[in-house]
Amino acid sequence: MNSVIAAIGFGPFDTDWLAAAIILTAPLLLAAMGELVSERAGVLNVGLEGMMLAGAFFSYLVAWKANSLVVGAFAGIGAGLLFAVVMGLLSIVAKADQIVSGVGVNLAATGLTSFLFDQIFGNRAQVVVPTMGNIKIPLLEKIPDFGPALFDHDILTYIAFLLVPAIWFLLYRTRWGLAIRAAGEMPAAVDTAGINVQRVRWAGVLTAGGLSGLAGANLAIVQVGIFHQEMSAGRGFLALVAVIFGRWTPLGVLGACLVLGGADALQLRLADQSAVPHQLWVVLTGIAVVLALYMVLAKRGRQRQPVALSLVALVAAGAVVLAIATPHVSLPDQLWRSLPYLLALAVLAGALSRSRMPSKLTIPYSRGEG
Amino acid sequence: MRGAVAKLTSGGLEFGLSVAVALFALAIALVAVVATGVSPGRGASAFVDGAFGSQLNYAGTFAKMVPLTLVALAWIVVFRAGRFHVGFPGQILIGGMFVSIVALKVSLPAVIHLPLVLLGGMVGGGLYAGIAAWLWAKRGVNEILSTLLLNLVAAQILAWWVRKPFHDPATPLPLTKALPNSSRWPELLTNTSLHWDVVLIPIAVIVVAVLLSRTLFGFRIRVTGAGEQIARHAGLAPKRVGSSAIILSGAIAGLAGASLVIAGVTPAMGEDFGADYGFTGIAVALLARNSPIAVLPSALLFAALAQGGGVMEGTVGISSSLVDFIQGLMIVLVLAATTLLYVVRKRSRARKKPPQARMAPAADLEPAR
Repeated sequence: MNSVIAAIGFGPFDTDWLAAAIILTAPLLLAAMGELVSERAGVLNVGLEGMMLAGAFFSYLVAWKANSLVVGAFAGIGAGLLFAVVMGLLSIVAKADQIVSGVGVNLAATGLTSFLFDQIFGNRAQVVVPTMGNIKIPLLEKIPDFGPALFDHDILTYIAFLLVPAIWFLLYRTRWGLAIRAAGEMPAAVDTAGINVQRVRWAGVLTAGGLSGLAGANLAIVQVGIFHQEMSAGRGFLALVAVIFGRWTPLGVLGACLVLGGADALQLRLADQSAVPHQLWVVLTGIAVVLALYMVLAKRGRQRQPVALSLVALVAAGAVVLAIATPHVSLPDQLWRSLPYLLALAVLAGALSRSRMPSKLTIPYSRGEG
Repeated sequence: MRGAVAKLTSGGLEFGLSVAVALFALAIALVAVVATGVSPGRGASAFVDGAFGSQLNYAGTFAKMVPLTLVALAWIVVFRAGRFHVGFPGQILIGGMFVSIVALKVSLPAVIHLPLVLLGGMVGGGLYAGIAAWLWAKRGVNEILSTLLLNLVAAQILAWWVRKPFHDPATPLPLTKALPNSSRWPELLTNTSLHWDVVLIPIAVIVVAVLLSRTLFGFRIRVTGAGEQIARHAGLAPKRVGSSAIILSGAIAGLAGASLVIAGVTPAMGEDFGADYGFTGIAVALLARNSPIAVLPSALLFAALAQGGGVMEGTVGISSSLVDFIQGLMIVLVLAATTLLYVVRKRSRARKKPPQARMAPAADLEPAR
């Protein structure tokens, strides 16, 4: 290992990990930012996974046929949009249950992509399309260690991270953003203001579809240059988790995606280690302490949750003991892999996040009934 | 009398709608088959032959009906209580995990062991659903979000379960030891996948149908499903009824998981022995328009699709993934058709009667989160 990196790195948390975390965060972030807009507009899009998969398949297919990655990326967006149209027709026009609609979209997309893949590539060798090259950001990539990890990526990764301020601006600084947020909280008010609620929700669903399609394109033609069946592997669900975990704000979702992407990168690195490295205990201690402090300081909640607080304190104390003792234990990697889901469940169960959920999420709007 | 007739025609309309949806989806499947260059006649006959053509094939169809029927019934129970959850894949897996404990750690004669194993599956599924029920009732967590997460966690638990604590050291594969015969359903037709667990189909349908329509608990479920406010006025505790419905549906899904493990082709349990049935079962219930009795033909259709589609891959070379697509398509079509029916009914009602004070839709009665 490079001596400089070893000096900077903290056990598994070195610059290689950082670079991997950024790459793995990008597709999650793309899909989650779209889903954020959709959920703020009041539509919970469980079909994210299917849209991502459709984006991956069609971006690969078109990139291969047209011999152009850019055309492929747009095909990915188009495929995501196509399934978003189905989702919108069901949940907005037909006012069908959003969850069941999403489950249907997922099944249909998984089946369709697997079917077409089998039919087209069933008895022929799959061609690996050249993946998108990396773009180095001048000057910034010269920063020792962190430069190459952070500023030497493909264009879609940059787009994913630039989406965060863009979506933030859209949601909080434009009329459209106000309409979107209101459509999820109080659609009747939007209607009264003369803005078509259904149209706002359509915009949300289509944003989620297009960006999930792009996220799929990121997986297929940017990261590996090939498609394989069910290659989204639950990332669509993870993006859903990120929106909940991030408490329905752009910055929160960015943080959640980084945690999930970082955990994914960490999990890849820990898989071949026999024992939990000492540094991991230290980092976990740090996280627990920060969480505990946050709960003490955030007095916005009506009561301060003594049970949850003492639980966090207990975890922190336990982690301190582990960090000092550094026992030779190997925890199953499945535990690390389910850590993001467990965290999201804990966040949901904590009173802090519930109030942030758009109050009309999953509830269709009909004039005169809202 | 007129009410009865109206009810009958409305039931007929719903039935006709489901048949139309199924036929439409099958027609699209046929179009896809033809597009791959197989003649429609050959495709259709290959499908029918794959689903029912031989003892091996129809045995496979009926065997697949068991988990589909059970998951569909599990969905109907929560749906009637006005709760949606999508935790069936996770409950199937955890049910199977409990099955492996009872099957491998206890040794008993079959008459006691088999029922105990089934009970284990139900307890596992019920407990796992209990997490979602508790989060919903006590912490106000939307049960759809929590069950989506719990499904992902369950997959990881099972992946660990068959690699570490219950791994069979004799194999490098992620499998448990072979479950003893005393804990498994005996074969109904020798050398096929059809086991005696098919008796669960009529039993479960009757139990759920009677439970929902003839018992006090079923009445409470239906009242709660009509709206939490209504339930509270009727002196019921909606949280308690809702939680019970979620746990009961988890137990039924756990039973489906048990059947998948102890009536499977292989005697050992792997990490994913059929979590997919958890989502397909929802499609079965939707096509049955959430009626327990109608689950029977609906589950038969989906089971035939899965079995026939699987065989077709070998006989005419059409990917069996087409079946997954058709299943998703059916959900989409049923939802669209349901709205169509709702609109048609509303129009015809508006024509017959002068408008009355409208009742608030159930969704508005939910407490603000």
